[in-house]
Amino acid sequence: MAVNRRGTGVFDEDDMPEDEMNDVGDEGYDDSESESDAEEEEEDVKLPEAKKNAVFDRDGIMDKLGDMSWPQDVPWIQRLAVDVDSQQEQEVDVNDDLARELSFYTQALEGTREAFGKLQSMGLPFLRPSDYYAEMVKTDSHMEKVKGRLLAEKRQIEEAEERKKAREAKKLAKEVQAQKQKERAKQKKGEIEAVKKWRKQRQQSGFPEGDKDGDLPLDFEDGRPFQKSGKKRPGVAPGDRSGGKLRQGGGKGRKGMDKNMKKREKRDSKFGFGGRKGAKKQNSAETTNDLRGLKQSNSSGNKKRKR
Amino acid sequence: MGKKRKQREAENNGPEAKKEDAASEERPKRTLLGWKEKSEKPQEKADTVAAPGFRNKEKVLVTCSRRINYRYRHLMLNVVSLLPHCKKDNKVESKETKGATLNELVELRNCSSCLFFECRKHLDLYLWMAKCPNGPSVKFLVNAVHTMEELKLTGNHLKGSRPILTFSANFDKDSHWILLKEMLIQIFGTPKGHQKSKPYHDHVFAFSIVDDHIWFRNYQIAVPHNESDKVPRGSLEKMTLVEVGPRFCLNPIKIFGGSFGGPTLYENPFYVSPNQIRALQKKQKTGKYAKKVKAKTRRKMHELSNPLEPDEFADMWKE
Repeated sequence: MAVNRRGTGVFDEDDMPEDEMNDVGDEGYDDSESESDAEEEEEDVKLPEAKKNAVFDRDGIMDKLGDMSWPQDVPWIQRLAVDVDSQQEQEVDVNDDLARELSFYTQALEGTREAFGKLQSMGLPFLRPSDYYAEMVKTDSHMEKVKGRLLAEKRQIEEAEERKKAREAKKLAKEVQAQKQKERAKQKKGEIEAVKKWRKQRQQSGFPEGDKDGDLPLDFEDGRPFQKSGKKRPGVAPGDRSGGKLRQGGGKGRKGMDKNMKKREKRDSKFGFGGRKGAKKQNSAETTNDLRGLKQSNSSGNKKRKR
Repeated sequence: MGKKRKQREAENNGPEAKKEDAASEERPKRTLLGWKEKSEKPQEKADTVAAPGFRNKEKVLVTCSRRINYRYRHLMLNVVSLLPHCKKDNKVESKETKGATLNELVELRNCSSCLFFECRKHLDLYLWMAKCPNGPSVKFLVNAVHTMEELKLTGNHLKGSRPILTFSANFDKDSHWILLKEMLIQIFGTPKGHQKSKPYHDHVFAFSIVDDHIWFRNYQIAVPHNESDKVPRGSLEKMTLVEVGPRFCLNPIKIFGGSFGGPTLYENPFYVSPNQIRALQKKQKTGKYAKKVKAKTRRKMHELSNPLEPDEFADMWKE
């Protein structure tokens, strides 16, 4: 029977919300519309004001508390409970995640400090020795995952930073380049100006050298604008198949050679000389990496051999 | 088995047993396996000295309703892994969860309290916290659930080490909070000397009341230390906490006098059920079409009631 009565108590509770719904009515909904909009994510809406018919049996609660609580003289080590009266208890804003979590953290930290002080004064071992291994709440594989995530996060941050840096460097380089170009243009302009000035001066002073246009007899106006310097460079040119002997005055006392050369030159001028063959036949990186022909020939050869 | 019973007897008549021990100290006790060794005695004594006549024999039954959400089920499993003194039971059909069956179940499992995770509509989690033979019991709505599996929570601690319970100061504000605090201490505190508990303290539970909700956090304690019974000087300041999880937020709905039922002792005056909230949201969304139609007809009426004046230049270009 008693059990049944308990059951009905619960049923009563379940019926209650519907009653409330009727009580609240349309006006109540309209009032709380804005609120629920704001707190839709939290899924937590409070009634704007306290319900008047809510049960609050303080005496009953205190009675129950007396019934259920442990005897007063239970030592602290059994309960391990700490009350933390932190100073910054001034109504933490619930929706401010950081502030809320910080308040929890500080509460736990202060509580732990107090508790550790008490434990230490008892002289019992309470800190885990470094060689005490036992089952943990989270498995090793899970912790591995956690670690992986941390590392990935760290890497991501680093990469982002690097990208940022590169972007900035690029920007800077652009600026520097622009500046340089500007400077160069300026220099050019200045030089042209200087030349003009100088020319004018010369014109005014009446051509001391007597040239036709008043220009300098510049070096490159004698028909051979770009001649190689007469110096021979040491070593062998890439296309030279004679091993550099040709350059070291190969035709020494050989008349035929000279003659041939002349003939060659004439022919080249007549038919055109397409450049040295040697440079074309040399291996380059591409040709060495290209193994197509080689493979084919090899495989075909093997087949033949087998047959 | 035999050994266990003997121990219980010793506890039941604590002082007497102690006297006997004192009297027959020279002769070791005889047991089934031979003579009891003397080395066990000092330990027993230390226990009795620490808590004369009191031994915390709390056992918590943890179950959930059928058709529970995976997220909430994981939360329950996390709670199970945090409480070495709990017994997990099969899911209970939620129709028969009303009082009687659960009470029976708790009795069957020899438990003294119960945590019952009730999931409704696959959406809302209610947590029943009950002291079993004769109350009280509390019904909470659980919000803001984060399980231990989340990778953001990087801490870890020994399974079964006794947690330090910290409570914010506003638990002493009102009588129902005091009651809740006592219940939390009894249910979430691991009994000292429990078989599955480990002797060190490396995690801390934080219960704190913000916005009339109880927020739960579980942190690992990281202290640089060399000895197990002493914190080196200055390292208390260096102590840091790493969150282990789970996280949840309890919104008390009602407190009952009995276990899973009985007279209502407290009722949260600000509580709105999630069903109501959803209904409200739905209501806001409704009426869009009706409003449109209404606006249209109103416009029509307006146009009919004040017709435009005939345009004098209307026929100008029609010649």
